[in-house]
Amino acid sequence: MEEREKRSVNSDSKETLSAPCSSPASAPEAGSKAEDGGADKLDVCSDKFDPLLALYSPAVQLPFPNIKCFNNVAEYESFLKGGRGRAKPENVEKRQRKAMKGVVDLERIERLKKLMVNNPVSESEEGESSSGTTRRKRRQKPVKNVLTRMPLCKGSPLGELYRCVEERIRVKVHVRTFKGLRGVCAGFVVAFDKFWNLAMVDVDETYREPLFGEAFYHEKALTTTRLFEKLSLQETSECAESVKKQPADSPKETPEGCSSSHAVGVRGDGRTADSKLSEAAETEKDAHKTLLMVQSPQTRQKKETKTYGKVHTRHINQLFIRGENVILVNPQPL
Amino acid sequence: MDPMKSKGAESQPSSVGPVEVVNSIRERTITENSMVILLQGLQGEVTTVDLRNESTARGRVVNVDAFMNIRLEDVLYRDRRGQLTQLQDLFITGRNIRYVHIPDHMDIMKTIESQLAKIHRVRNFGSEGGGRKEFAKKTK
Repeated sequence: MEEREKRSVNSDSKETLSAPCSSPASAPEAGSKAEDGGADKLDVCSDKFDPLLALYSPAVQLPFPNIKCFNNVAEYESFLKGGRGRAKPENVEKRQRKAMKGVVDLERIERLKKLMVNNPVSESEEGESSSGTTRRKRRQKPVKNVLTRMPLCKGSPLGELYRCVEERIRVKVHVRTFKGLRGVCAGFVVAFDKFWNLAMVDVDETYREPLFGEAFYHEKALTTTRLFEKLSLQETSECAESVKKQPADSPKETPEGCSSSHAVGVRGDGRTADSKLSEAAETEKDAHKTLLMVQSPQTRQKKETKTYGKVHTRHINQLFIRGENVILVNPQPL
Repeated sequence: MDPMKSKGAESQPSSVGPVEVVNSIRERTITENSMVILLQGLQGEVTTVDLRNESTARGRVVNVDAFMNIRLEDVLYRDRRGQLTQLQDLFITGRNIRYVHIPDHMDIMKTIESQLAKIHRVRNFGSEGGGRKEFAKKTK
């Protein structure tokens, strides 16, 4: 009985091989046609196979004598699925994956390539994570320093200042004293920052010394108009003095005053006139000045410097202005 | 008014010795993003600083920090009356500065760029050699 079962199992296992099986089957069939019924019955692959006869006959030709024998179909199934251990579906999968280990999986390779850092194949740089072995130079973040921040201000007042830097527009910077205007710096801005600190070149500074005491108390707010008018007046008066009396003290001021008087005069004219009030104030001051001029020349000038803040002009090639002292920046029209 | 107005012996938060770049990160970022970096490029030069109170100080710049506090040495201090004083050491608070005269031989843009490069070098010092970083970067 067992043998019959075995042979029946063998016949099942050889289902796929039935095609080649049929050819050797046909050969002995053709060969021994005398005992064709017997041969047929003994032939495992034929239709007329008689298992009982095959079990008890001495000469049965097995097509594959050296095949593995199983006790039942389940065993055979288990053998098919793999070998050691129970053939559970998860085990089967595991074994399959292990078997495929050396085999190239294209999808997996593509995935890994994307994760790699310094790979020239990868298209986008953003996809890179730092899981790569070599660290990239920190150029992913845009560099931010004072120079790069200058053009970023476009659209804001600082952007307008940047335009002055770019186009090398001459600029007038109003500089403050603790209360009001100190003076005006005219020059080109080379660099600036958000605090309005300015680096300027070719600067002509026109400023007034601060007043003290009573003059300070009565001081009328200084405007640019008044500043330049005062400067021009001051210089013309000094020039006149130097021509007449040639004073010993403060020689540097007078030639300076005379030389720049022309330029200042032009500037004074070009400025938009203030209200008549300011002019009145100026004339008042002039009256005072002339009064003082009547006195002795030496002491007079000293008194002037003490009572009335004198307006000075100087040229500085390269200047740095702290932003806190800037009142406003006035680009000059070309 | 006291002519010898060295503005207080405040403790300097910045460098101690002849270190070119400040050690504090906070100060470094402040200087990097403002014009103080130009003044830091002036270290070692003789300049005139005009103060807010109309006085001027002419001397060699020892040190400028992120808040524009300036330390000068061998200073000729002229107060607003015109009175001259010689000082060995002068510390000026940043807020009291109005102007800083920049020497004619100095190129402003080049100075700024070289100072930025120094900071950049210091900041990236350890990163490529696998050295210790200031802030541990979180890797994703």
